Amino acid sequence: MTQIIELYVSSTGETRLATRGFTGASCQAASQFLEAALGVQQQEQFTSEYYRTANGVATKLEVCPSLPPS
Amino acid sequence: MAGALALVTHKQFQVRSKYLSHIVNIQTEVRDPAAVLAACQRLGLPPPVQRTVKLFSGSAAGLAVELPGWRYPLVCETATGSLKYDNYQGAWGDTLQLDQFLQAYACEKAKLEARRRGYSTSEQRLADGSIKLTIQVAGGAA
Repeated sequence: MTQIIELYVSSTGETRLATRGFTGASCQAASQFLEAALGVQQQEQFTSEYYRTANGVATKLEVCPSLPPS
Repeated sequence: MAGALALVTHKQFQVRSKYLSHIVNIQTEVRDPAAVLAACQRLGLPPPVQRTVKLFSGSAAGLAVELPGWRYPLVCETATGSLKYDNYQGAWGDTLQLDQFLQAYACEKAKLEARRRGYSTSEQRLADGSIKLTIQVAGGAA
């Protein structure tokens, strides 16, 4: 699957980074270089894709305090 | 006013699509001289100069950036990531110029880091004035 990092930079310089096409914690590893380079992390959200393993099995959904509403 | 620290506050972006796994909001810190130079080139500004700048009250040392219409330069203290400036709440320099510099810095810094790792990038200006930078990590072109 295609794996990309999307960075949205507002007209006032605020940034939001999103990963796409990753499963599990690999998204954090892939984008960490960019987070560290740009500044200080303010907020982090994980979607259901984060809790999905490479073979498509969702895990740990019940213990995710920051899972956004569907 | 002198020595004001530029804070880039969080604002909600609408990022809604399938297969997003991880979303992070970041407060930009200006720490990379190469990206400051790239931001100046992008905006058509003179190259930044490392020097001590006298502001209306006090002084600041760092990379001095001449923003259009600003009475005093913007000083980037890259060691700390902070910005020092004195625009007297807009009377001595339009904050829009500072915002544009921060946007340009974030874009150029991200592109520099992506290219350093061999990733391809593509850039798109959105209708609300924000910029979407797509970084291809694996599986095709950005």
